Amino acid sequence: MISVGIDLGTQSVKALVLKDDKIVARVKAFSGFDPTKAAEQAVQEALKNAQVAIEAVSSFTATGSGMELAPYSAATVSMMGADAKAGTYLFPNARTIIDVGAEEARSVKCDNNGVMVDFVVNERCAAGAGAFIEAMARALEVKLEDMGPLSLKAERASPINASCVIFGESDVVSLIHRQESKPEIARAVFDAMADRVSSMVHRLGVNPDVVLIGGVAKDVGFVASLKRKLGVDILIPEAPEFAGALGAALIGARKGKVK
Amino acid sequence: MKKNQTEPKRFMPEIAQKEMDELRNTVKAASERIMAENVERMKKTSPNRPKEMEYFDEIANLFGKRAKEIEAAKAQGKKVIGYMCLFAPTELILAADAIPVRINSGWYDASKLGDRVVPVEVCPVIRSTIGAKMIDLSPYLELSDALISVLTCDGMTKLSEILGDYKQIWGMSNPRIKDSVQALKFWNDEIKLMKSNIEKLSGNKITPKNLKAAILQTQRATKVFRRLQDLRRGNPVIMGRDAMLVNQTYMWDDIARWTEKTEALCVELERRVQRKEWVCSPDTPRVMLTGTPMFWPDNWKVPTLIEEGNPSGVLVADELCSSERLLYDPVGVDEWSMDDMLNAIGERYLMASTCPCFTSNDGNEDRINWLLNKVKEWNVQGVIYYVVRGCMLYAMEYTRVKRVLDKANIPVYYLDTEYTREDVGQLKTRVEAFLEMLNARVDF
Amino acid sequence: MSMEILGNALQWIIAGSSVLAGVLAILIWIKNKTRKVTYLRFFIQIAMLAGVYISFTMALWLGILMLLIFLLTMVSGRFFCGWICPFGFYMDLFSQARKALKIKYVNLPQRANEALNKLRYIVFAAIIGWCIYLILTSGQLLQPFFLFLRGPFRPLNLFVDPLEPLVLPFGEIFGLSGYSLSYPYMRDINFYTGDPFWASIFVYLFVGLTVAASFVVRRFWCRFCPTGLSIAILNKYKGLKWMPLLKINKDETKCTKCGICKRVCPVQVTKVYDERGGDIAPSTCIQCFRCVEMCPYADTLKVEFAGKTIFKSRNWLEPSDIE
Repeated sequence: MISVGIDLGTQSVKALVLKDDKIVARVKAFSGFDPTKAAEQAVQEALKNAQVAIEAVSSFTATGSGMELAPYSAATVSMMGADAKAGTYLFPNARTIIDVGAEEARSVKCDNNGVMVDFVVNERCAAGAGAFIEAMARALEVKLEDMGPLSLKAERASPINASCVIFGESDVVSLIHRQESKPEIARAVFDAMADRVSSMVHRLGVNPDVVLIGGVAKDVGFVASLKRKLGVDILIPEAPEFAGALGAALIGARKGKVK
Repeated sequence: MKKNQTEPKRFMPEIAQKEMDELRNTVKAASERIMAENVERMKKTSPNRPKEMEYFDEIANLFGKRAKEIEAAKAQGKKVIGYMCLFAPTELILAADAIPVRINSGWYDASKLGDRVVPVEVCPVIRSTIGAKMIDLSPYLELSDALISVLTCDGMTKLSEILGDYKQIWGMSNPRIKDSVQALKFWNDEIKLMKSNIEKLSGNKITPKNLKAAILQTQRATKVFRRLQDLRRGNPVIMGRDAMLVNQTYMWDDIARWTEKTEALCVELERRVQRKEWVCSPDTPRVMLTGTPMFWPDNWKVPTLIEEGNPSGVLVADELCSSERLLYDPVGVDEWSMDDMLNAIGERYLMASTCPCFTSNDGNEDRINWLLNKVKEWNVQGVIYYVVRGCMLYAMEYTRVKRVLDKANIPVYYLDTEYTREDVGQLKTRVEAFLEMLNARVDF
Repeated sequence: MSMEILGNALQWIIAGSSVLAGVLAILIWIKNKTRKVTYLRFFIQIAMLAGVYISFTMALWLGILMLLIFLLTMVSGRFFCGWICPFGFYMDLFSQARKALKIKYVNLPQRANEALNKLRYIVFAAIIGWCIYLILTSGQLLQPFFLFLRGPFRPLNLFVDPLEPLVLPFGEIFGLSGYSLSYPYMRDINFYTGDPFWASIFVYLFVGLTVAASFVVRRFWCRFCPTGLSIAILNKYKGLKWMPLLKINKDETKCTKCGICKRVCPVQVTKVYDERGGDIAPSTCIQCFRCVEMCPYADTLKVEFAGKTIFKSRNWLEPSDIE
């Protein structure tokens, strides 16, 4: 059975094709001004890669902040539900799933069937999401993808006082003027983020195994800081930014079977 | 002490009459639009909405029929006594042939005006009431001859001072430890003082005869109120928003008429139960709300998200002082002497209250017990713990309630929000995820 | 002739009250159609009073009667006090008179009430002790004396005194032979005072004080009456906690702590309010069930006999077919 999952995020759309519970294709594209069109194109490309005709697809399921805009009258499922499903698919013992995206972070507690039992969302403070790294990278004049490796070079973190992204930038500039090293500032950035994410997760309770997904999971600097703050091992899947689309596809497949 | 209108205000800024009128008209127009929209949405969500709801839809218009009725009654010499919290003794007001009306403000736009007077961290209900007073928005507040202000929380305490610049305020201190020996005695003394205040203002003496009549009237209202809530135990014959609207209109409607109309509604609903005419699918997730009060019209935000979401749920119960806590407890009179009636009134308002402004000597379990009982008897599948930002009392009780509900294996979700329309998108995500979670539990 | 008329009248009273009581009982307990346990109790009290009067026309074995009362408390707590005892009935009548006159009742301060409750133990112990003393010093054959509570058993008569009806079917009063006025504890006051002048003074004082006291304080005598004590002693022993079989049960989660049960209790029992939940059987409770009758939350307070519910609080603002 073929099931398609679409994740319409704020910056990018991800499409994933699932055939008999195995991932056969996945495509990521920029959302742009027309997320519906971008999603359509991503799905078509993914189906082409998987060599599957669109008529053979049993279900389309969408998730993400823009899920209402999904094409193909896709069924919708919450990001939390999708995260829970994907987490347990990728790691059968996953019980706490942390999803850090560009603009918000969330955490889901689930049972062994991938059914979510509790969740917590932090959408008020961007300092607990990817946008923070972007802003800090700009202030440090470092490329976004270099922030992680840079921070790993540091032994300690510089003190960043600002709790707000907006003021963080000027904070960083003053730290540079005080001759603080860039690796240490970079590490402080990730520590601050990890702080907010971990206090959010603690509201749910840290239940191993802990899985980290979402675009920011690819950043080694953040992962290191989060491991330190949570004090437990963190599992990261390959291609963590596709977890949402994967979860949506899995839920669609299950619903199809039930029908 | 009546405040002279020309004396300088202690808190409120001076606003030119023209600006005030403009603001009022804007907010009023927006509010009328929102009220109509809410009613439309309620009608659309359940095509076979009970016919008796028509009366409540009309009374729901805060600026409409009822406001005019009260104005006409005032012109004939009747007094209007407003109150903010549930602890004001309505029976005494009715006995003195005055009109009780609750004046809490549910207007989002007014809360922004309140920001000019108090910091944004203050409870939005308080800010909204301040804003409403600033532009003379609320017909009920404007028509009140006096306000009974029970000083339950910090916000209420200072609000009474702010409103004291315009209205005669009768403050009532409620004891925070509600079951100590002194507490009840003190509260009964406050009630007696309130009795003489009301008598003096209205010019009518409160006699055992008219007090008994007033108590019987509120007892009848409680009877029909409980009957309505009982009808929500089984499969849904009325959507939660509709029931909440009925509950809430009690706050400003004529009590005798409200009782009559709610009774007619109950009769219609009982017929539906017999004919199995459900207003939505019986396997819709059954949700309960608990927390800070939700005042009409703007605060229909969260109930609307719950009942119109995808997936959608149905509100079957709540623990809100703007809804199911309003009339739940009756005045239990032993012997119809003035003394016993006053004691009964005092006890009814103090003892059974589940407001977190209280604590007690024996563990303060009233609210916990009420929630657990509701969850069990109304077959609630999930609880949304609703808090407007700024309320310490409800926010701080969350941990305890969560632990109790976790033990009872009922999912509870903490939803905090403000008097703003801007977070509807974010709330939608979370409410829908919660409803999805409830659906999944049922599947398994 | 007058005795016959009286006899017939009494039989009608008993029959009538029993029928009314029976009807009410069926309505309340089986159909849950009405709440007025107080009315039911009233009819039963009338029937009981008439019965007691009739029993005074026969030679009573007071000793057996006393034992029966004590045994009854093992099964049903102080049910005797609330439903059968004539003295209690008189006090209820005084309360009704007070209500009709719109006079408010007086609550004893909690401490005073508790002190009076404890007084029962002292009085009880004194009576028993005195009786034992008399037995030890009498050296006479005990059996016939016990049945009629005479001789060394005379002090135990105090336990049966509340049963005294106001009119006795012998003696003479107001020139009418065949009746005399009486009052609980009157005959013992006479007996122990000896001198007839002082005896009548004490009797008038006693009657006056108890009538006045129970006029303003509900069920005044019951708070320290030694007759109603036996269950309190037994309850202290762990093995006997299942006694009495008639108990009040409270559902913990349904109670809103509204305080109505505490307010309406005629003997000011606070345990029904104070206890969190479960079985409640205070030794001062006279089982009048006013608390259960007035509790406005369904299924919160229940009257249970041997675990089976026979009466429970209900949503009392529901319409009642017969009120």
